Amino acid sequence: MSQAPTGRLPRIKRRIYEILEGAVVDRASHACEIVIAGLVVANVVAIILESVHSIHEAYEAYFHIFDLFSVMVFSLEYVLRVWTYSEKHTGPGDSPWKGRKEYVFSMFGLVDFFSTVPFYLQLLFPGADLRVLRMFRLLRIFKLSRYNSAMEDMLEAIKAEKDSFSSAMFLLFISCLLFSSLIYIIEGHDQPEIFPSIPAAMHWFVLTIISGWGNVDPVTYLGTILVIVTQILAIALAAILTGVVATAYTAQVQRRESIYEMEVREVLADGVVTEEEQLKLKTLQAKYGMSNEQVDAIANQVKAEQSNG
Amino acid sequence: MLGKLQKNVMEILAGAPHQPLSRYVEWMITVVVLVNCSAVILDSVPEIHAEYKEFFHELEFWSVMFFTVEYVLRVWSLGARFTPEQGGAWKGRKGYIFSAFGLVDFFATAPHYVHIFFPGLDLRILRVLRLLRILKLSKYNTALQDLFQAVYAERRAFGSAAFLLLISTVVSASLMHFAEGHEQPEFFGSIPHAIYWSIVTITSGYGNVEPVTKAGEVIALLTGFLGVCMAAIMTGIVASAFATQLSRKKSAYLLQLRKVLEDGVVSDAERNTLKHLQTQYRLSDADVKKMVDEINTEKAALS
Repeated sequence: MSQAPTGRLPRIKRRIYEILEGAVVDRASHACEIVIAGLVVANVVAIILESVHSIHEAYEAYFHIFDLFSVMVFSLEYVLRVWTYSEKHTGPGDSPWKGRKEYVFSMFGLVDFFSTVPFYLQLLFPGADLRVLRMFRLLRIFKLSRYNSAMEDMLEAIKAEKDSFSSAMFLLFISCLLFSSLIYIIEGHDQPEIFPSIPAAMHWFVLTIISGWGNVDPVTYLGTILVIVTQILAIALAAILTGVVATAYTAQVQRRESIYEMEVREVLADGVVTEEEQLKLKTLQAKYGMSNEQVDAIANQVKAEQSNG
Repeated sequence: MLGKLQKNVMEILAGAPHQPLSRYVEWMITVVVLVNCSAVILDSVPEIHAEYKEFFHELEFWSVMFFTVEYVLRVWSLGARFTPEQGGAWKGRKGYIFSAFGLVDFFATAPHYVHIFFPGLDLRILRVLRLLRILKLSKYNTALQDLFQAVYAERRAFGSAAFLLLISTVVSASLMHFAEGHEQPEFFGSIPHAIYWSIVTITSGYGNVEPVTKAGEVIALLTGFLGVCMAAIMTGIVASAFATQLSRKKSAYLLQLRKVLEDGVVSDAERNTLKHLQTQYRLSDADVKKMVDEINTEKAALS
């Protein structure tokens, strides 16, 4: 008799973990994803609308109820996640708190926490600044990135090329220091109201980099040359960043295609394609977002090579 | 006899490579479309319109006749696309009429007749529809189709970029609203207001409004920098998509080439297929020669 509930509880826990984590792609986890993502989008829309004074006046009560409801749902989600993430590491010797700790201190965990908890703080301390509270509510938008695998793709691509990115950033940093110091030395005497200090000159530099013109016209010849060089640097920097991103994406596509090709090679090596292998290839294709044509092309190539060799 | 003519007309209009006439037809349609679009543009200048009104009218009449004949011929000849067993004459016709090209062809021509029957119609709508004719050119522009294909292949990357853009717009607008909503209520009084500022800042660098607080200044600079990054990401994805597409085409061509060269004999049909594939993929002769050399060296090494 006492065996049944202890057997059922872990099973429910496991199931909830699967649904929340989306580890097994099935209808329930998909539906859960859609519900949470939809609620997040509705929340963001509500925050935006609420900031319009006339709408806020008219529908204040509704916004309040909606926020209350959202907080309930998100709190439940957070509690369930913390509870079930003990299932993440089930190896021998793993404490159930390993997976939980990992989640709580992950980026998603922190976002989940800080986008929900300030609401309760407000209940405890009603005098808190509402703007800060709303800013925390805005954090909810980042909950969406959990469901957007394309976002992960981008981060992965950038991470693989992090050396190039950091060298571009380094270049930006160095030239910021150099150019703002130079413009301060050259024009600081002539336009003290605009370049009173190097930090002020840095502001001018960043403006020039992002919009091509720093709102200031130089008055000396040297200053003019410096401004022109900075503007050219802005174009060069945009080109460098673009090139790095392009390379990162191309490299990622190639990496994925070769991983897929290797998998196909393995599958075709013994001449038999089992159902399990087919499922594996399909999952990989879906994960990498490859089209059927691409996949067919790779399969054909591997087949041609194997029939040749 | 009629069936043969129908088939020939279909192939000519579809630009089949073995019909020498198809190239001239293509050129003729292109020229008429370009002349038409220039006429629409020039006609909008009041002085030119006053002086050459008659001429433009005449031109419009003959162009409509020309496009009508083209449309009717296309619909008629596409009856030859499928044999009765494959679905009959109207299957091919329906496929054309409801395709993007068929709709463009129709709506670029038909309004003229509506205008004849109902002369009181708004002329501006008619002129906009006349400009649709320029889209007829996309049929002949494989580069445009390549572009769509490349973008489609990288749709996930574009999706993530759009997602990033959305998030950064909303977040920067909201932060700006919190930071400067009290100081500059006419610009940042509500988040939708601030979203306009945020989009201006992301797309064109520094925004239309100067922030007055230190926090606002920092948010504005970060938003501007994010704009630079967004442009880089978008451009980078397009560049990468094109590069990937090219390499994919090359490997597809290489595969075909390998198949053809495998038996050591190149038949006429095979040569035709390769030529067709080369033009379709727009590979240069040098590219192809390099691939042939590569395969030949491989073969020599094997034997």
